[in-house]
Amino acid sequence: MKITLTINGREYTRDIAENRTLLRFIREDLGLTGTKEGCGAGECGACTVIVNGKTMNSCLMLAAECSGAVIETIEGESESGELSKMQQAFHKHHAVQCGFCTPGMIMSVKALVKKNPKPTVHQIQEAIEGNFCRCTGYTQIIEAVQAGTDQRDEQEELRRV
Amino acid sequence: MLQTFSYVAPDSRKDLLAILNKEGTRAKILAGGTDLMVDIRGGKIAPAFVVDIKKIADLKGVSYSATEGLSIGAVTTCIELVTDKTIVAKFPIIADAASRLGSTQLRNRATIAGNICTASPCADLSCAMLALGASVEIASMTGTRIVKLADFFTGVKTTVIKADELVTRLIVAPELVNAKFGMEKLKRIKGHDLSLASVAVVKTGTLLRVALGSCAPTPIVLPDFPANAPLASILEVAGKTIKPIDDVRASKEYRKMMIMTFIEQIILRL
Amino acid sequence: MFENVPDNGLKYVGKGVDRIDTVEKLTGKALYTCDWLVPGMLFGKIKTSPHARARIIKIDTSKAEKLPGVHAVITGNELDYRMGLYLVDKHILAKGVVRHFGEAVAAVSAESWEVAHHAIGLIDVEYEVLEAVLDPVEALKEDAPLVHPDLGKYDHVREAFTPVPGTNIANRMKYRKGDLEQGFREADFIIERRYTNPSVQHVPMETHVSIGQWSVGDKISIITSAQSPFTVRNLFAHSFKIPHENIRIQIPYVGGGFGGKAGIHLEPLACCLSRKSGGRPVKLQATREEEFSLLPCRSGLVYNIKTGVKKSGKIVAQQMTMYWDAGAYADYAVNVTRASGYSAAGPYEIPNAWVDALTIYTNKPFGTAYRGFGHVEFSWGIERHMDLIAKTIGMDSLKFRLLNAMKPGSTTLTGEVISENTGNVTRCMEAVAESINYGQLTGAEKAREKKTGRKIGKSVVALHKAPAMPSFTGTSVILRMNENGSVSATFSLTEIGAGTYTSVAQIIAETLKFPIEKVHVPIEIDTNHDPYDWQTVASKGLLLTGNAAILAAIDLIRKAYEIAGQVLRASQCDLDHDGEKVFLKHHPAKFVPFSKLAVGYAYPGGNGIGGPLIGVGRYCAQGLSNLDKETGQGNPALDWTYGAHGLIVEVDPKTGAYTIIKVASAFDVGRAINPAAVRGQAIGGMIQGLGTAMFEGYYYDRAGRLLNPSFTDNKIPTSLDIPEEVDAIVVETPQIDGPFGARGVGEHSMIAICGALGNAIEKAVGANLTHMPIRPQDIWKALQTGAKPDSPGISGDVVNFAEAPLCSTRRDSGKHKKR
Repeated sequence: MKITLTINGREYTRDIAENRTLLRFIREDLGLTGTKEGCGAGECGACTVIVNGKTMNSCLMLAAECSGAVIETIEGESESGELSKMQQAFHKHHAVQCGFCTPGMIMSVKALVKKNPKPTVHQIQEAIEGNFCRCTGYTQIIEAVQAGTDQRDEQEELRRV
Repeated sequence: MLQTFSYVAPDSRKDLLAILNKEGTRAKILAGGTDLMVDIRGGKIAPAFVVDIKKIADLKGVSYSATEGLSIGAVTTCIELVTDKTIVAKFPIIADAASRLGSTQLRNRATIAGNICTASPCADLSCAMLALGASVEIASMTGTRIVKLADFFTGVKTTVIKADELVTRLIVAPELVNAKFGMEKLKRIKGHDLSLASVAVVKTGTLLRVALGSCAPTPIVLPDFPANAPLASILEVAGKTIKPIDDVRASKEYRKMMIMTFIEQIILRL
Repeated sequence: MFENVPDNGLKYVGKGVDRIDTVEKLTGKALYTCDWLVPGMLFGKIKTSPHARARIIKIDTSKAEKLPGVHAVITGNELDYRMGLYLVDKHILAKGVVRHFGEAVAAVSAESWEVAHHAIGLIDVEYEVLEAVLDPVEALKEDAPLVHPDLGKYDHVREAFTPVPGTNIANRMKYRKGDLEQGFREADFIIERRYTNPSVQHVPMETHVSIGQWSVGDKISIITSAQSPFTVRNLFAHSFKIPHENIRIQIPYVGGGFGGKAGIHLEPLACCLSRKSGGRPVKLQATREEEFSLLPCRSGLVYNIKTGVKKSGKIVAQQMTMYWDAGAYADYAVNVTRASGYSAAGPYEIPNAWVDALTIYTNKPFGTAYRGFGHVEFSWGIERHMDLIAKTIGMDSLKFRLLNAMKPGSTTLTGEVISENTGNVTRCMEAVAESINYGQLTGAEKAREKKTGRKIGKSVVALHKAPAMPSFTGTSVILRMNENGSVSATFSLTEIGAGTYTSVAQIIAETLKFPIEKVHVPIEIDTNHDPYDWQTVASKGLLLTGNAAILAAIDLIRKAYEIAGQVLRASQCDLDHDGEKVFLKHHPAKFVPFSKLAVGYAYPGGNGIGGPLIGVGRYCAQGLSNLDKETGQGNPALDWTYGAHGLIVEVDPKTGAYTIIKVASAFDVGRAINPAAVRGQAIGGMIQGLGTAMFEGYYYDRAGRLLNPSFTDNKIPTSLDIPEEVDAIVVETPQIDGPFGARGVGEHSMIAICGALGNAIEKAVGANLTHMPIRPQDIWKALQTGAKPDSPGISGDVVNFAEAPLCSTRRDSGKHKKR
């Protein structure tokens, strides 16, 4: 079947298999491989994209459902050629280790900040609860989100004794 | 990856019911997809047709009238339940229950009808809706029927819905508007998880009602208690009613203890 | 190397500089193996066993072969290759028998994932189900079925490992120090208990994925999510008897490893499918469910500890027996057994010690390396046991630990003498104790207890670990100067997330005196182009590769000076350089820029000298030796990284529900090359360790089927599961042979946090726990069964040592008795 949808501001019309998930459509049909698959079952959030303003697990959606939808993925974050403010904060605060959860994490944070420009630590934790990160222990991610929302300047110190 | 099926998205209730009538069990309804897609991927089901009901305008929306009470369209998502002004003002227990379901991504997708129709004993919304004495409106080509939610579940993941039928909305009678409530959910982690045991209680000046999840083949509601019922009598009824199981999530003894503890905590709070 | 250079003399080392790999990761441009498509690529799927142990009667692949779009179907019958890191015991596809739930029995290549998936469903396998061996201790009984009846015929690394043919013992390690009997005779108390933990999954966010191509002339090309490219190449070469130079391994970005990608996994099967598909490349990608049982996990452990201690608190004897549940194949588990054996007592000095460590085959998914390499598992037992002893003899448990801690002059279980430069575990314990206000509740904490009705407990534990690696482990770094005077470094450590590449870039920039922007380190690895490294494991990468990087930088500068000396008509001893140029020390206006030396210097007349500048650094671990097979004595440890955790927990005495209020962790890292990265390792590993401590682990039914192979029932910590407060601390006692004094810390943060949690919970509510994970229901149950905090040892099942096979022991000892 044929669908037309907007991803990162660009309109795409494609003929798709009806059982195609949105995740595979984005990754395999459009080649936007920044969005990752971590479990395929809606648990880990690696595949998080923003659909009509809301974060969703793209592994649990059909591309067929998304005709007419406006979708944002990680590739839209730095189209100007510069890192976005939040990406810069992640960079500065060592909020990235292996990087596999990062695109989905950035999407969840983006949706949070749009709704809530000064989230508390607990609100940040709740917003990324559906994005598993096995490397960082989340702490530096939370710090980065604080920095990206002007609630923190300096890198948190490693204490030397 | 998913096995092959046809995707259909009728834009009217009439077309939808015609498809269900024709295809029967070959068709599966797609609302939020948070259970359906997992089941298809896992090979538990293999529908020939996946019928998306989100394009049907009259399955959406929340409204309230003094006569009928609260009406929640089938495809209302959890995030809509959490933020809907009418629900938050009149039936906050629904918003509370919806806020406990899954993660942000899942709450943005999962629908009330999906959560109820999956009929999992641990479904997050079922307890709250049972405590409110909700009813389910079910439509087919031959007409519409209304079933009390308490009579809706027939076993683990089974309900009274027939293959040609569709849940169109949930209805909550006005009696329990602004009732006091309490909810608790036992999880394995502090992050998103299924319920291992859950309790929802509503209380008015005259009535106290307790619904329980993950402690029987279906979510259950205890017989109504008077508002001033002593805690011991509630616990006694609960203790006789529940039949939790042992599994990888929790032992039956722990589930039972936690159900009792939750009831006690909530009753003492209300 | 450069271990005594003071901090203020350093520009990059010791600074939390930005990671060199995050921009690509933040923009979605970093390509992982799962993102790769190769022209002509086919898609592979694997048929797995639903049984723990069964004979394969028949496999009918005819329907699958006829399915349009299928290119190849293979079964174990046609693959006569065995693989194994240290003990060659595993077929690529099960041959004749399956040995664990989830084992690969057949595989398909097809033109799409969908066709491959469909074809797998068309393969019929007829099994005769056999009785499975599931319990590692039961597996030692004489009548237990043998998981590997042919164990005696398997090749293995004889210098290090000892399989016992005719049993389920894949490896048996012995460590003997001092006089155990005499030690127990001197003891005032003998305290014995058993501790257990199940298998757990690594859960890298990227599942295992490999693209393999087997071309004419046995040319092999593999793109894979592996930690150790040269180990994949070496094992492939040995198993298939193909020359190393024919095999090319490429590693793009890797989405986490934690040890689970350390060895060789899907690569051989992808290549075998390619060979049968006419040489077309084949991609195999594990689903999350397959990650739990087709691919390896961490071994379970049953750990018996019997300790003799004086009234003064001094440990005088300790007998330790480890029953490692390796699952169906030995993989890294034999080496986990070896490495945890020589560390088995934790960072405490035991004058008289026996360790018997057994790697035991069972019919379960097999264990491999996992961050901590056995130390997470045994630290649960050791740190619980230390608290039990302290309580039994009536001593504060921190004081007891400090009394017995390794100090300069102490000897390890293998006879190595600890020196001033080994590190300072005492300082680590003191630092975390201070951070959590150990030994008392603050006013705020008392108020919190009153408000919540919950009880607060605090604990301090200590840890140590040395890399588990061959005594002669080597690595190399090549540094090439680019035309503009910048440098590109290549080495074959993989950047699996730990940040080592950034630290190595800092070391290179510091040694060269170049701005870090001029140091380029590509993340991707290709064995056709990059120099050798053994493996990315064991927290050895920074130390070994860091040293090689220093040597490469020195070599590059020396070569630049050779040419610059000629150009400037000066002796090399009179030269100096900065990030731009080589100049005369006394006449800095006389200089030659690096950009003119980079690829060969050209004199004004046109003739040239030099040629491209390349620096080479090679480093090999020094001073290590094999272990004696009867006594375990020798020197296996490149470096010991010590650490400690302090933990505050709040527990509901009624339900067992708990919240971790604070964790303070301190590690003696020698020198923190990148403090922000060290902090990331400290916190990330600590949370991963808490996952293990709180709720992760495999559950099986009685037939050996894994019951929780998914995130639905195998949870990992989320952002809401972290402690309310964390404090990451470093102690910096320089390692003399570490780069700028540094030692590794990638794994250590995960070790012993489990014991810290168990001990703090016991302090809070008295729950006597000997099994992890610690679920609230386990605390509740422990409290129900009435174990009182003042009667330690009751709920721990005691294994009678007389029954422990292969370790002759004294027969006395009750649970714990005063003598």
